[in-house]
Order: sequence, then C-alpha cells, then structure tokens
Amino acid sequence: MLAIVSLCARIAVIRPRFALGYLIVAIVAVLAILAPLIAPYSPTEADSTNFLQSPGGSHLFGTDNVGMDIFSRAIYAPRIDLTIAILGTVLSALLGGSIGALVGYYSSGRGIRVWVSFAVMRAADVLQAFPVFVFAIALVASLGQSIQTVVLAIAFVNAPIYLRLMRSQVLSLRSMRYVEASTVNGLSDFQTITRHVIPNAMAPVLAQLSINVGWGILLTAALSFIGAGVRAPTPEWGSMIAMGFQNVVTGQWWPSMFPGAMLAITVFGFSLVGTSIEVLADPAKRRQLLNEARQRPAGRAAAASKRQSLEQV
Amino acid sequence: MSDLFTRVKLGPSRRQFLQTAAAAGGAAMLPASPGTGEAFAQGAGDTLVIAAPATPQGLDIEFDVSIGSIDSLGALYEYMLAYEKVEDPNAPGVLREDTSVHADKPNNMALKGRLAEAWDVSPDGRSATFKLREGVKSNWGNLFTSKDVKWTWDRKFNLKGQGLFQTAVLGLNSPDQIKVEGDYALSFNLDKPNPLLLKQQCNLANPIYDATKCAAVGGSADPWAVNFLKNDSAGFGPYKLAQLVRGQQAVFEARDDYWDTKPVMKRVIMREVPQSASRFSLLQGGAVDIAQFLQPRELEALKSQKTVAVDAVNSSYMIWLELNAKIAPFDNVDVRRAVNMAIPHDEIIRTIYYGYADPQTAPMPYIYPMADKSFFSFNYDLAKAKALLEKAGAGKGFNTTLSYNAGDPTQEPIALLIQTSLRQIGIELTLEKLPAGVFYENVTKRAKPMIFYLDSPWTPDPGYSTYLYFNSKSYVNYSNYVNTDVDVLITEGLGTLDNAIRLEKYKKVQKTLMEDAPWGFIAYPKYTLARKANLKGFTYYTSNNLRFQDFSRR
Repeated sequence: MLAIVSLCARIAVIRPRFALGYLIVAIVAVLAILAPLIAPYSPTEADSTNFLQSPGGSHLFGTDNVGMDIFSRAIYAPRIDLTIAILGTVLSALLGGSIGALVGYYSSGRGIRVWVSFAVMRAADVLQAFPVFVFAIALVASLGQSIQTVVLAIAFVNAPIYLRLMRSQVLSLRSMRYVEASTVNGLSDFQTITRHVIPNAMAPVLAQLSINVGWGILLTAALSFIGAGVRAPTPEWGSMIAMGFQNVVTGQWWPSMFPGAMLAITVFGFSLVGTSIEVLADPAKRRQLLNEARQRPAGRAAAASKRQSLEQV
Repeated sequence: MSDLFTRVKLGPSRRQFLQTAAAAGGAAMLPASPGTGEAFAQGAGDTLVIAAPATPQGLDIEFDVSIGSIDSLGALYEYMLAYEKVEDPNAPGVLREDTSVHADKPNNMALKGRLAEAWDVSPDGRSATFKLREGVKSNWGNLFTSKDVKWTWDRKFNLKGQGLFQTAVLGLNSPDQIKVEGDYALSFNLDKPNPLLLKQQCNLANPIYDATKCAAVGGSADPWAVNFLKNDSAGFGPYKLAQLVRGQQAVFEARDDYWDTKPVMKRVIMREVPQSASRFSLLQGGAVDIAQFLQPRELEALKSQKTVAVDAVNSSYMIWLELNAKIAPFDNVDVRRAVNMAIPHDEIIRTIYYGYADPQTAPMPYIYPMADKSFFSFNYDLAKAKALLEKAGAGKGFNTTLSYNAGDPTQEPIALLIQTSLRQIGIELTLEKLPAGVFYENVTKRAKPMIFYLDSPWTPDPGYSTYLYFNSKSYVNYSNYVNTDVDVLITEGLGTLDNAIRLEKYKKVQKTLMEDAPWGFIAYPKYTLARKANLKGFTYYTSNNLRFQDFSRR
C-alpha cells in the first residue's frame, strides 16, 4: 500500500497537472458530501434584509438579489451538478456502450444483424448531427423541467459518443484469438461479449467518462442558465450565474462570478482527471510513466552525486 | 504529432491564450462608448434612437399588443380624442394625461379633440355625435372622412380580434350602431348609456385607419387589409413607417404633411436589444437616447450619472398572483386571504423594485378615478395568515405550484421571496419557470393554481378595469372568479353617466373584491424611462407607451 502511495506521489511530481485534477475533483466531492455541515446559511431561504451584500463579513461570497448566501449555495451546488452529471454520464455509457458493443460485434458478416447494426449507426449519426444544446432543450421542453429530465438529456446526447467508442474498440478486439477461443469453447455471443470483449474495451470509455462528467456539469449549468434545467431556488451553478449575470453591468459581480469560477475550475479538474486516465489506461503510456516515476529517485541521486564530484574538483 | 518548433510557431502558449481571453472578456464588459457600435446610429439632434426589448412583431393592434407594437401605434396613427395633459406631481418635467373627474368640464372629463373637432353626447348618454376635422391627410395622401372611422369600427366587428372587446365594453352589438351622418360627421348609438363612450375614443387600441388605402391594397381577397396592416401603416398620425426589419430595427420618419404640429424628432430608430444589461450599457455609453424597460437596479445605477436621467411615474401597471378559484385549495376564500397576508409587499418593493413600485392596495390601478385603497386589509401578518389557514381547514399547510414568466426578470426573485414567506405558514411552493410563450398560454388556459400576471387596463375607468378582470364572462378573468353580485354592480356602473352613482357602485365592487381576494395583490410598478439628460418631453399615457412626437432636445 505504501509502495502504491509512493508511486502515486512520484507520478504526481512528474505530472503535477494530474495531481491538480485529482485534488480539484476530491475537493468538489468533499464539498458535495459535507455541504450541510460547512454551509453557514440555508441555500434556499431568501433574506431580503441582506440582498446584494458584497463579499466579506458574515457572507464570504456575498449575497444575491434576494439575500441568499452565495457561498452556501455555491458549495451546495456540486450535490446537484455532480449527481446529474455522473448519473447522466454513467447512463449514457451504459446505454451507448452496450449498444456499441453489440453493433461492433455484429457489424460484419451477413444477415439481419448487419443491417440492424448499420441502421443503429445511421441513427447515431442523425442524433449526433443535432446541436447538442438544442437537442437537450427540446428534450427538457417536452418532458418538463426536473433533475430527472436533465439526467436523461445528458444521457441521450452523450450516448452516441460511447456507442462509437465501444464499437471501434470491439471491432478491433473481435478478431483477437481469445475471442475466437471463447466462441470455440462454446460460450454464447452474449457471454463472449460481456466476459471478454467489453472488459478489454473499457480503457478509453473510462477516460471518456471523466471528461464527459465535466461536460455534463457544463451542460447542466447551461440548461439551468437558460431556465431549462433545475427549478429555482435549487442551488446550481448555472442557475446562479443566470440569476446573477445581469447584476454585473451595475457593479455587483459576485452573484455570478463565484459560481462561474467554481464551475470552470470543476470542469477543468475533471478534464485533467480524464487526461490522466487516458494515459494510465494506455499500456504503453502507462509503462513509460511508471518507468519515469521509478527512475526519478535514481535520477536525482545520480545528479546529486555528479554535483558533489564537480564541487570536489 | 508536432515537434517543439512547430508548436511554438503555430500556436499561442497556454499563458498567451489565457491572457488574450481575459483581455477580450474584460473588453466585452466595458460599456459601449460613443463612436463604437457601428450598428447604432449616434442620434443627431433630430434623430431619436431607442433601445427597445423588441421590435414590433406586427403593426395591427387587432392582433398584436406587444411592447414594440404599441410604441409604434401612437406614432403612426391618430385618434378621435385625447386627454389634456398636466404636469406629473411626482416627476418634474414629465407630463401625464389628465384622467381625473372634472365636474366643471364638459362630460366631466378633460378632453381635447384630435380627429374629432367637436362632439356632443346626448342627455340620456346613449349617443354621441362627432364633428370630424377637415383637411387631414393620411400618410398615403388620402383625406380623412367619416368613412374612415366607420370602416375602422366595422373592421373590429368583422375580424373579432381584440376589437371585439372594444365593441363589447361599449355595448355595441352591430356595426349599424355607428352611423355616417355626413362626410365629416359620425354618430355612435348605444342601447344603454355608457360612460366609456368618449374615453374609448382616446384608447390606444382604437386607432383610425385610412380606409381608402386599405381597400385599395386589400381588395376583395383581403377586404380588411389584414396582411397590409401587419407590416405597414395606413393612418393619420405624425409618422410613417420607413423600415421594419423584425428582430433588428424599425425606423419611423416624421411626415411633412401632418395636420398638427410637426414632430421635432424627424427620424426615430427603434433598435431591438433584448438584454436589459445591454440597453443599460448603450445608454450609459451615449449610443442611444432612450433605453426602455431597464431593471430597477439598473435605474438606480444610472441615477448618479450626469448625462442620463431617469423618470419614474405612477402608472396603470399592476402585478399580481392569479389565485385560481377552480383549483383547490384556492376555491376557499380564507386560503386566498391567508396567501395575501403572507405576501411580503415591503420586502418586494425594497429588494426587487428598489422603490420603483408601490404596494397594490386596490383591484384596479391606484391612479384611476374612484380607486379606493381603504378596503385593503392584507398587511403582512403571518400569525393572522396561519389563523386563516386553520379556519379554512388547511392548518397543516399544503403543497402547490407557483408559475412565473422566464421572460420577466422580476418575477423569479419575487417568487423566491413569496416562497420563503409562505413556507413559514406551511405552504410549500414549487416554483415553475415557464418560457414566455408557454407562460401566456398557461395564463389564458387558466391551468395553474398560482401564476403571476402583469397588466394594465388602458382606459382609466373603474368600470373598464373591473369588467376586464372580474366580470365572470370576461376573457381576461384568468382567476376564474365568479360573483354575480359583482357582475351586476360592474354592469350597473357601466350603465350610468352619473359619477356619484358610479362611485357608490364601484366602492361596493372594490370592497367585495378585496374581501374575496381573487388575486394575490403585490405591487403597482412605476412606468420608468431612462433617457439622455438632454432629452425632454416625456409624457405618461395610461396605455404605457411612448409617443415619439412628444420628444425634443434641450
């Protein structure tokens, strides 16, 4: 365990941005869990005696135009944003990934399965041709404004990504010997796909998951910004920015700036985490990174020894 | 995969990108300064530039009463009569229509002739004869005659748009009740006396059309010139339409052959700027002369600037909650009263309106004759509200939905304040934000238990106002309020010219309405105008619109 921690620490030194990403995500996750204990005020109770107070004093981030504490709302917001983004992204990965696996497995040969695979891919083309935001708005408009609807919107707009990702992986894995062996050993297609194909195709999917969680948070915020996301006064970064951005022109910048900054940092953090998973999931890149990490202490010792010998001369 | 040299040569570094983005973002935050913004005319002395939330979607009042449209009407069209103007007692330099009752004036009103030069109301109040002004030309060069007035009112009967209300409220059942008595004489003949007969001649909703032009362009295929009047004008007003590009701008030009005093502003450009923050910036930077419908905090921010002035006048606007009497528990009067006692009026006016509103204390605009605030008893009192809920059998509270318009930035914060307050008496509100089109659809469908509404009755009359919103058969009675006694009182008040009798009737109406509380009474928002300090002439009209011909420069 100590060796793993030590290795992680060395990787963090080599790639500080990975560490930054994990730190950001960890902080956001902690805020989401501990918000009820940390927040000094209720995130949904208006207090008109303290409206639009500037940051400082008892309101660290100030208050908005109905007196709600921005700090409390900003740290409660990850509960909503993360929940929606993670649920939506996982749902899209399950939906898109499973369909992609089937489509990839059956996309060659003859018969109705090939035609079905073809039709599914064309349907995914059509779905992806829609502007993501417009599609999400239409979905929310038809199903109504709720957290569940936003989750579904994220799931639907991201599913084609996982469909294509999984399909491309399965296409290359399908011809592997172990897959053939599985079939020869009498396993059904379903068993082969679930036990051998999908587990070996998961690496890029996992990397994409983290990046998509960040996009999911952004999409949630964007939908809330235009009024199609969560209902007021649910604390959510996008709706906070929407309520506050009109105050910027009159000098009250804080209602939108703080949630905006937290949103940007969180999405950035997830993006870094996604990049790190992408590196660690690739065997060649992972090997190179681990070698670098292992050599680093030896490298330092060699450099120190060289400096010492130069000084003696 | 690019090498180090290629990366340096082709792309900015991350630091350079962030610095550039920050600079661009900072520049975007700065208000527009004079000389920037090629899309905006800089307002020469006789050009008026207005930043409006929207350009006119249609120019035909029969079908379009949106903000951009009503501002155009007063410029393009003329009316039979108008109110005299007086100085606003609360806003220096601002004039307003004199809508008070004047016992010493003819018909107890301060009216002046416009297209009608003179008028005479019969002693029984059932008919009015108008002598029309001669020598008035339309923007198409056609002379105004009685046929234009006749055609205008016939159009209302035939098209059955908003004009149907105009005829109904006057008690007009047939076009035959409007008679051409000569080229320059016309009479309205009613079955019963109606105190609105002259007032409706001033109403922005009753412009007079150039019938000759309309007949020529419409022909037999479109006898009422619906298609033409949507996109152009045929009227006797001081301006003509020069350009209309919906979503961008509308341009009006003063007519040289206008019969009355020629407008000082020869050219008016109404530019669509949907965001109030952008309109604010444009005015602040001097790119426009008027920024319409700014948010209260933006008006406050402008007060300190010497190049800008803000006028705020008591208006006919009202904002209230429709409490749907057909959806439980708002079918219970004590529940409705409880809601009213828990609405934090003072908080709303201070926090949301920054003082640019007054508490709503009557079921009609407080500036209208016979408005009576003495029956208002809904001072904020949560204990009394709770007691009323107990009395209604809802002591444990209940859950319901409050719907509001996403297109009105004041409604969400008001909803939040009301939600916090009602929670304290056990009423848990789910806030439902509706896009503007969906919002109005839900209002007219009367589908929601609680929904905001912001409106103003254009005719300054207690009968007109109460008939509009509380008559059980009125299309605009969105709260489903039914009280036959109130219906009778309203109708009786509309059937006499005796102001003493009317006062007595409408006192009873208002007393009953405040007891029945069909609305959650919130506020009377003021009509505000943010303008360049050197612009003068602003006149307030109860139809809450601008008339470009009023303005000039110091």
